[in-house]
Amino acid sequence: MAKKGCLPLVVISLVLLILGFLFLRGPMAHIQLPAESVTKPIGFPLTNTILAAWLTIMVLVALSYLATRRMEEVPRGIQNFVETVLEVLLGLVESVAGPKNGRRFFPVVATIFLFVIVSNWMGLLPGYGSIGLVETEAKEGFIFQEKDLGALKLALIPPGGDKFTEEDLNSSPPLKKGEVAGGFVPFLRSANTDLNTPLALALISAIFVEYWGISTLGIFRYGSKFFNVRSLLKGSLMFGLIDLMVGFLELVSEIARIISFTFRLFGNIFAGEILLAAISFLIPLVALLPAFGLELLVGAIQALIFAMLTLVFGVIAVAGHGEEATAMETHTAVAPS
Amino acid sequence: MEALGINLPGLVAQLINFALLLVLLYIVAYKPILRMMDQRSSRIKKSLDDAEFIKEERGRLEKAVETQLEASRREGQALVAQANQMGERMIDEARQEARREAETLITRARSEIELERSEAMTELRRQFVDLAILAAQRVINRSLDKEAHRRLIDEVLEEGTRTPQN
Repeated sequence: MAKKGCLPLVVISLVLLILGFLFLRGPMAHIQLPAESVTKPIGFPLTNTILAAWLTIMVLVALSYLATRRMEEVPRGIQNFVETVLEVLLGLVESVAGPKNGRRFFPVVATIFLFVIVSNWMGLLPGYGSIGLVETEAKEGFIFQEKDLGALKLALIPPGGDKFTEEDLNSSPPLKKGEVAGGFVPFLRSANTDLNTPLALALISAIFVEYWGISTLGIFRYGSKFFNVRSLLKGSLMFGLIDLMVGFLELVSEIARIISFTFRLFGNIFAGEILLAAISFLIPLVALLPAFGLELLVGAIQALIFAMLTLVFGVIAVAGHGEEATAMETHTAVAPS
Repeated sequence: MEALGINLPGLVAQLINFALLLVLLYIVAYKPILRMMDQRSSRIKKSLDDAEFIKEERGRLEKAVETQLEASRREGQALVAQANQMGERMIDEARQEARREAETLITRARSEIELERSEAMTELRRQFVDLAILAAQRVINRSLDKEAHRRLIDEVLEEGTRTPQN
């Protein structure tokens, strides 16, 4: 039975592999860290990642608007879907932070989760990174084949298209007819493949964590986590120095948190993009689908990690510290999950 | 930093984007949906409470009805017992009344009989006297003074009746 079932599968895979190599092979991956600027409308570069973020925002807001436009007591359709998502998120947040703080943390945590997961998944849609402008002045890029459709001039990268670098321009024979060399600037690029986006999210996360901590404990109690001079004032030099050192380490970890937030998200999503580009060049079509599945998973997991870490740091920030924390802040203790 | 692609305009743009998204989602998603969810859960809680209240109320009413039923049953029984008693007493009274009446009737009858008898005796005696006088007239064949005879006989009879009686 197993052998009978295997044979057609192998044949189909081979056919797909050949078809993929012939027609659907991507160009060799072009790796560029900074986001490409599509235009400069008011002097500042409008990058493709900002456009992608805007698209994400539009999708999320439109979805929410449609869901809550005519709310019903018994939810149906899109309202049911959005409510379910938010209810699960709220349950998660409240199970970690408790009902009172859960309600405070929820908007930020949920927005982080939704923004990251939607922009990660939208980054996998066709059109992202594959439709854009050709920059003929670029020093490196792809060799396009021009197609004139009258009103619209198209430049296509042929299957398995070649890359060129500056040296190629000088050494290799001139381009054939109908060919044009240029840099490729896609209109849309997954928002988190630009370090600015995860960094902005990490800063937002850090700002809200500090805000929650200060607003709950007050600036002096919260600040004493970083500048703990209580033992020093009591006259104990050694413990005073230890406390100061611990406070300094807390401060460092607070900053390190931002960096690790940024690079965890960026690294995962950017690596995913490169993986997909490389696989579409190496084993098009056949190996690409599992890779897409993997990237869906990674996108969701990274969103969850970002949101949950923000939540946990928030819980730690409001939970207080030191001797008085156990006595005074027991109500903010982590709820049973 | 530049090589990594981090730049201030991009960073600021994404910060603004996120803040915008947060505000918009708060307005169109979190606020209405959380409110709806709270409303729903409070409504469910309220209906549960109501159901509990109704159940309690029903239990209380059932108990009240039960006690009332019990009370009326007892009252009914008491009434029946009273009626029975009254009936018995009435029967008793009626019986006694009847007996008394019968007794008076009997006594009256007896006295009447007695009267009748004494009257009959008197009558009999008078007839007997007449007869005796008549007989004596026949025997002697001569007419005596009727009045003197009668008196004489009466005296004899009087003596005769008195003597055995005493």
